[in-house]
Amino acid sequence: MKNFSYVITDEIGIHARPAGLLVKEAKKYASKVVIKANGKSAEATRLMAVMGMGVKCGQTVEVEVTGDDEDAAFEGMKAFFEENL
Amino acid sequence: MKDKIFAVLQRVGRSFMLPIAILPVAGLLLGVGGSFTNETMLETYGLLQIMGPGTVFNAIFTVMKEAGDIVFTNLPIIFAMGVAIGMAKKEKEVSALAAVIAFFIMHASIGAMIEINGGTESMLSGATTSVCGITSLQMGVFGGIIVGLGVAALHNRFYKIQLPQVLSFFGGTRFVPIISALVYTGVGILMFFVWPVIQSGIYAVGDVVLNSGYAGTWVYGFMERLLIPFGLHHVFYLPFWQTALGGTLEVAGQTIEGAQNIFFAQLADPTVEHFAVSATRFMAGKFPMMIFGLPGAALAMYKVARTDKKKAVEGLLLSAALTSMLTGITEPIEFTFLFVAPLLYGIHCVFAGLAYMLMHVFNVGVGMTFSGGLIDMFLFGVLQGNAKTNWIWIVIVGIGYFVVYYFLFSFLIKKLDLKTPGRDDSEEVKLYRRSDVEARKNGGAGVGAQASTEDALSEAICNGLGGKKNISDVDCCATRLRCTVYKAELVNDAMLKATGASGIVHKGNGVQIIYGPRVTVIKSNLEDYLETAPNEEHIAQKETAVEEEQVTEKAEGKVVETITISSPVTGMAADLSTAPDEAFAGRMMGDGAVVTPVDPVVTAPEDGEVCFVFETKHAIGFQTDSGISLLIHMGIDTVKLNGKGFEVLVENGQKVKKGEPMLKLDIEYLKANAPSIVSPVLCTELEDNQRIRLLKDGNIKAGEPLFAVDIYE
Repeated sequence: MKNFSYVITDEIGIHARPAGLLVKEAKKYASKVVIKANGKSAEATRLMAVMGMGVKCGQTVEVEVTGDDEDAAFEGMKAFFEENL
Repeated sequence: MKDKIFAVLQRVGRSFMLPIAILPVAGLLLGVGGSFTNETMLETYGLLQIMGPGTVFNAIFTVMKEAGDIVFTNLPIIFAMGVAIGMAKKEKEVSALAAVIAFFIMHASIGAMIEINGGTESMLSGATTSVCGITSLQMGVFGGIIVGLGVAALHNRFYKIQLPQVLSFFGGTRFVPIISALVYTGVGILMFFVWPVIQSGIYAVGDVVLNSGYAGTWVYGFMERLLIPFGLHHVFYLPFWQTALGGTLEVAGQTIEGAQNIFFAQLADPTVEHFAVSATRFMAGKFPMMIFGLPGAALAMYKVARTDKKKAVEGLLLSAALTSMLTGITEPIEFTFLFVAPLLYGIHCVFAGLAYMLMHVFNVGVGMTFSGGLIDMFLFGVLQGNAKTNWIWIVIVGIGYFVVYYFLFSFLIKKLDLKTPGRDDSEEVKLYRRSDVEARKNGGAGVGAQASTEDALSEAICNGLGGKKNISDVDCCATRLRCTVYKAELVNDAMLKATGASGIVHKGNGVQIIYGPRVTVIKSNLEDYLETAPNEEHIAQKETAVEEEQVTEKAEGKVVETITISSPVTGMAADLSTAPDEAFAGRMMGDGAVVTPVDPVVTAPEDGEVCFVFETKHAIGFQTDSGISLLIHMGIDTVKLNGKGFEVLVENGQKVKKGEPMLKLDIEYLKANAPSIVSPVLCTELEDNQRIRLLKDGNIKAGEPLFAVDIYE
């Protein structure tokens, strides 16, 4: 398992569109990607769950990847967050 | 470097297509009008009583003639605008305005220089003319093209410029006409010194071509055909048609330059006894080749096709042959053999040159507006009378061409076993492949909307070009889709061929896909599709293609269950792809439909549970009791309103019955403050065996079925 935390800088937070992109990115990897924030957690491949967390700008999210390609998934997800959120 | 030049030339070539497209219409008006107001012609056919001067017919035809003539007179400025529009990457309308301004300013500036330096008397005779009322140098369409290319270059460089705060009103696109005006004042002054030198140069080259006689004509015809595969033929023949390269002649007291201009000036001049062959030699050769030769080749290809495939190639070859005969658009037929049998094309080029030469030898004086089909032959040959045109030789030579093309093509195809359409052992005939692909896409997805046929084709083309992200430009000429891509290696020929293309030309990052005259429709569909398509690269691999097919086949199985989702609001329903937002329209968030609300109350679409309401109140996550996860997103970019314009009537986790109110909208406020109130309703978590089928397109009431989720075996 590998994890990192990230402070959201996108002013509208993880809203519909970024969430859609996030799910798409997470689906690329075999590893399980879990996002935690606000005391809730969600699998990054489930759009409803991700959106339901209602993560806003300035909040910290924990991202956890577990699985065979976790190194790639870790790098990929990290790059994604930095670029899009 | 070479590839870059090709890419630029390709763009220049296709930017000519817009102004060129007006020529057939203008030519038709001028041709018909000119013919029936020509007193010599009327006298010959004994029509002077009915159509002579003073009659209503004469008035009508005179107006037609003038209407057509004005286009030819003002071709330079039309080219200036057309080329500027064609070459500008974005905000094309601004470049058109800038081009007109620059055109006027350049000529006014030249005019002033002429005045300062002693007026027109001190210039070479024929060097000056009146351009839109300005006394200036005779620059022909070159003048227009110089303006068009230069303005487009300035435009592409400056249309996004940011100026200091005080001057910011003049920034961006407004800066383009300003900079163009300044630059072209200078260009005008420069042209006053440079152009006369170029002018004498052009006259000299033109002289060489003109005086090289029949051999020169053959070379011209051969070159013109040879350039077709590269799409550069417009760049080659246009100077002959439109500038002094194609000769100068005095017609009705005015010095006219360019072969086509000379012909049309003579057409408008009733005193001409025989059209100048020194001009029409650059045009007439197309007639025997296009009306007779190529159809002969088509017949040959039909005859040598395998018996079981004859039916299939018949449609392809017949329509291609007819297009060539009637309109003189030859690419559809030329490209059926160019790629599979380049040798045949080489022979075709030699014969094309020969056709021009024979027309020259037989003194045929028939011109054309655009190309050499039956329509032009009738208007500018037959109608003008054999005495003025010798058009009968077109038919005599043409019949010979038909026979020669037929036997030569039959012989060579059989002898060398060339794989012209219907002779390939494995492949099916191209036309059939396309419809197959469409049929599969249509039926496969079960999304029965008519619009999806076009979208499927556009999607296939887009993917074949390596995805939207890989596409830099899309444009088209008469028969081909001309695209520029970022990475040439992502282009997949097989996929493009399957979309119905008869051939594909690559040169560096330029890709030309040849479809025939229907290409304009394909282009606009593709552009529409690209507006909404996901911006990604498509890396085509054989394996993925096969996989996709398997998925489709699986999906073609039986529908075991259908879940209907109703509209949460009263309004207008439409396909999701119409959403004015890339992410939704590209189905990145899931599949479903859009509703544009007219009623403020958003209700539960089915029995279920409100999973969450966004804090910004603009969207609801919903789970139906039948197990479908829905996102009901009211308006586009409404997240930015921070809850204004919405009133929430439910809580997170609340169970609701179908029709129960969930949100109330302030539609007026939303309309005024959000980019759009089109509201996507979509399933966020579809399984591979679940497909969306739109049930309603148009007016819908809350609670009426919106779309169905088909679950396959």
